[in-house]
Amino acid sequence: MRYSDFTPYDLILLLNGLGVSLGLFLATTIIGVFLAVMFTLVSYYRIPVLTQVVVALTEMLKNSPVLVQLFLVFFGAPAFFHVNMTPVAAATLTISLNTAAFAYVIMRSAIASVDVEQIAAAEVFGHSRWQILTLIISPQAAAFAIGPLVGLMINQLQVTSLISVIGVMDLTKIGNILNLRTLQPFIVWTAIGALYYVTAKILASVGGRVEKNLRRSVVWGGI
Amino acid sequence: MILIENVEKTFGTAKVLRNINLQVKPGEVLTILGSSGSGKSTLIRCLNGLEKLTDGKITVDGHDVSTRQGLAAARKRSATVFQLFNLYPHKTVLQNITLAPVEVLKHDKRAAEARAQELLELVGLGDFAAAWPQSLSGGQRQRVGICRALAMEPSYLLLDEVTSSLDPEMTGEVLDILAELAKAGTTMIFVTHEVEFARQISDRIVFLEQGELLVDMDVETFFAADGGMAVPRIAQFLSRMKKDGVQ
Repeated sequence: MRYSDFTPYDLILLLNGLGVSLGLFLATTIIGVFLAVMFTLVSYYRIPVLTQVVVALTEMLKNSPVLVQLFLVFFGAPAFFHVNMTPVAAATLTISLNTAAFAYVIMRSAIASVDVEQIAAAEVFGHSRWQILTLIISPQAAAFAIGPLVGLMINQLQVTSLISVIGVMDLTKIGNILNLRTLQPFIVWTAIGALYYVTAKILASVGGRVEKNLRRSVVWGGI
Repeated sequence: MILIENVEKTFGTAKVLRNINLQVKPGEVLTILGSSGSGKSTLIRCLNGLEKLTDGKITVDGHDVSTRQGLAAARKRSATVFQLFNLYPHKTVLQNITLAPVEVLKHDKRAAEARAQELLELVGLGDFAAAWPQSLSGGQRQRVGICRALAMEPSYLLLDEVTSSLDPEMTGEVLDILAELAKAGTTMIFVTHEVEFARQISDRIVFLEQGELLVDMDVETFFAADGGMAVPRIAQFLSRMKKDGVQ
């Protein structure tokens, strides 16, 4: 057996890489969505100063490449602030913030899509702003937002592949290693691509099911 | 008692309400007539706090709607039925009715549901408690809207052009219920274009014209030749309403 042959151990490597990618994806999605909810609350209650901070931060995050942000966090921050930054920490921080920025925009527009007259009705019936958010707006906004959010997540799953350039052993990095060793780029990258594809498809189908459930009460355009 | 004193409302440079003075006593059915854009709906929206007054004062049983606490108290005393129903599409018919009694008035959930069911039966929708609002016709939705308002046990029922988006048959369904309520002594402020119906159920009629209160008369005087009909603008309005077949 030549060093450049595929071995059964490569499968374990691939699964390992997939695990790292998935773990990072899940962690950044949870952190990102949590941050997005916080950002949305800040803007819903129009908290002074914080609202402006959220707007400025999300604008920066949305309008610059994730790879540049990653380099800034991984190479720039340690040099400037003299902090230690591991590749995983840099990747988690960058992608979480990036997810947060886009999820925030989706949540804001979903809230804006809820009919204002319904909100007026809820106000007149004496509901508090918090009750209006949780009882009237959120269930409907969730149904509006879930489609775009699932789309964003599928995109962010692919975006995690960028972290391979700073040395995180994710699926793409494993692909790189296998490719250099076997010199079989077509086979390696087909396998890597297929793994991302299957993962994304599973994510989409779970998302689709959640969406269906959220929308069960609403025959859109029926009003 | 609802007291409206020297109320002014401007949107930008447009004066929508000019020096409105009005009183509504408990048990009274007051109809506000006027052409589109005369300020009728704005007046209702000032009463329930959806619009802030530019000047003047509105009190509901002594609670000033321009203060935070006053508005909260005033809103517990009145309930509004909207032109476009404004039901919550993600809640069933029953949930639409019980939401505010349970969450705002802190009524027991079971009791609120039983009361909602009673109200639905009253308006002929007893079998629709579990239905989604979107599956109902316009007239049925508006009857649910009325139940939602009545479930708050309001002292004052504010009706903002509640039949304007319904066809004549559905209008009939809704008006029948309002007539029942009027007979039962419910205090109502009724913004409408249904002149004939207003004549049947109202105690008093006021006529708004370009934000000004043109007349404030009891219903007999309003329709009498030497009363409201003596005002050229009102005679014109009423004859046009008849000509358009809007009753």
